[in-house]
Amino acid sequence: MSVKPNVKKAKKHLAKLRELVSKRKHPFSEMSEEEIINALRKTREEIWDKKLVTRS
Amino acid sequence: MPCAKQEKKSGIKNLLLVLDSNEYIFAFGILKKPSSKTLIDTILDSFPIHSIRIPRLVVEEVGRHLTPEEFREFIEFVMNLASIDEDFVVPFELGVRYELEGLKPADAFIAAYVEWTGAAALVTENRHFLSRHSNLPFKILNAEKCLKIIKSSI
Repeated sequence: MSVKPNVKKAKKHLAKLRELVSKRKHPFSEMSEEEIINALRKTREEIWDKKLVTRS
Repeated sequence: MPCAKQEKKSGIKNLLLVLDSNEYIFAFGILKKPSSKTLIDTILDSFPIHSIRIPRLVVEEVGRHLTPEEFREFIEFVMNLASIDEDFVVPFELGVRYELEGLKPADAFIAAYVEWTGAAALVTENRHFLSRHSNLPFKILNAEKCLKIIKSSI
């Protein structure tokens, strides 16, 4: 899934995303880098397991 | 692996990269990690010299940790920069090969995806990936090392 690349628009949306993230207290904000990476690994495994169940 | 070959022959000219979900999360400022933030900014500034591909799995992982409004911006950001590849396009056998090398199934899929795209590197801060360097058809780099490679080519 893709549209024609438009770096100017990509930058605009990245800036907006960073602005939104900076305005709220994210559940990761109290975590260390290692803890966040572990949380993301857990997310990956959960999503993957769900995908496998859906396909089988 | 056209990108890797090109690098050996004449220095890095174009880098096709796959960024792990942690790089996106850090680049958005959820954790202050300047190298991840600078890497995304550098890719944007150098596009299309350096570019990215992203699988649906990584989009979903990142999305899980964003609000709907943030997710909309993320999708717009990604779609103006790269293709989102559906997970099923990656040959099953490729993933199995990485599982046999000891990666968990979902990590094995990511490794298989990187190989399938012909990307030069997977960029991640995940030590489980970073500890696996041998016999891979692509590099595994953290954002800092990737930036050094990109900057050395300028």
